[in-house]
Amino acid sequence: MINGTKLFSAEEISTAVAKIADAIGADFTGSFDDCALVGIHQQGVPLAEMICEELKKKYGSAPLVGKLDISMYRDDIGNRKRLPAIRETDIPFDVNGSSIILVDDVLSTGRTIRAALDALTDYGRAGLIRLAVLVDRGEPEFPIRADYVGLCTTAPADRKIVVRFEEDGDPGIYAVNWENHNL
Amino acid sequence: MEWTRKDLLSLYDLEAEEIECILDTAAEFKKVSERQVKKVPALRGKTVVNFFVEPSTRTRVSFELAEQRLSADVVNMQAQASSLLKGETLLDTVKNIEALQVDLVVMRHSATGAQAFIASKLKCGVINAGDGAHSHPTQALLDIFTIREKKGGVKGLNVTILGDILHSRVARSNMWGLLKLGANVTLAGPSTLVPREFESIPGVRVCHNLKDAVANADVVNLLRIQHERQTAGFFPGTGEYARFFGINSDSLKMMKPDVMIMHPGPINRDVELAGEVADGSNSVILEQVTNGLAVRMAVLFLVAGCVKK
Repeated sequence: MINGTKLFSAEEISTAVAKIADAIGADFTGSFDDCALVGIHQQGVPLAEMICEELKKKYGSAPLVGKLDISMYRDDIGNRKRLPAIRETDIPFDVNGSSIILVDDVLSTGRTIRAALDALTDYGRAGLIRLAVLVDRGEPEFPIRADYVGLCTTAPADRKIVVRFEEDGDPGIYAVNWENHNL
Repeated sequence: MEWTRKDLLSLYDLEAEEIECILDTAAEFKKVSERQVKKVPALRGKTVVNFFVEPSTRTRVSFELAEQRLSADVVNMQAQASSLLKGETLLDTVKNIEALQVDLVVMRHSATGAQAFIASKLKCGVINAGDGAHSHPTQALLDIFTIREKKGGVKGLNVTILGDILHSRVARSNMWGLLKLGANVTLAGPSTLVPREFESIPGVRVCHNLKDAVANADVVNLLRIQHERQTAGFFPGTGEYARFFGINSDSLKMMKPDVMIMHPGPINRDVELAGEVADGSNSVILEQVTNGLAVRMAVLFLVAGCVKK
């Protein structure tokens, strides 16, 4: 159980994922040969899998899925008291020339995406990079916008938007107090 | 698990979870060195001083390369070129280094506890690159990383550390790290170099006979016979050491077929380890060197990552 205000339900998440998958499918006209989804840890990884499943259902084929941890590319290393654990990065395809859709749960300041772009660049020169997010909070601190947006919301600055996918953890999208959230 | 320590001083201080955190982080940094772009911007704008009061080549080179791959700015200081020779105290020297706004000091010193002493006096992070015969945490971490990677885990493994245990910080750090992760540790070598007192530590066996020491071992970690520390005559000569405790193709026959042979380097070929074994299929010596880079990147990243401003 999560201590916060529920903004969207599990059904609304499913609809939003389908909407993102439809938009991606339309843009790539159902052919995903040189295309890959790259989920950003943590919640971007299961989200990328969910989008991939939707595409498979609809088109019978789907892009490859990779995982990206941006810890080594953060702009606040040394300014935090705690450092989140590094998770697995797995880019199972050649980045050079490919079309990559970065996937994350929440677009907030854009700083994570800035770091992800730097990280991807170190793997090669992608032909195209786009961004898909489940929730757009609409408060960018960087000139970064998403190409595929599932849901939009606003929240006061002292709230963090948290996405829960787990079936057993009351899935949904919540606004929680930063101080209550173990970041 | 989140890292919260300002310094890395010894494995004795760490919880098993913290050791696992370093090893998991190192696994990701190992991949960085396998990419075409072998560098990440993690420590961009940070300054690291490698302060080696006791001489070192391979550890210093490994740290320096790790720092460069993390995009840190690096300064190397050696005792011969420092004001320690002019009579400045160690604390004054490191306080002067800190006054230059450095973020991390990697230090080797011949005195046990030197790093712990300065870490308590400095705001910047301190990484122990070896203190006396006490501790060499990054060497033990790279050994344990290699064991975990090759054997799939550490818990329940029989690890024999063979050689001059008495003078070895590598042996002590390995022992504490391996015990925390649930391995069984055998310390072996001539009785003059392997004190029985170690047996009072739970999980540790002391053995003065090569065959007993290695027969059940999953891993045999050999230590260099340190000529520079052998003035007191702990054994008659290197020829005799090689005959009783050296590992060669004959002694390999006493061991499990998949035994892993490790050595922190530099090897005295045909003293503690015969060339045919050092270069053979059981040896992981060069992989240890590769893993050392990844482990040091992980330690630098974690320690620099939560330094308080």
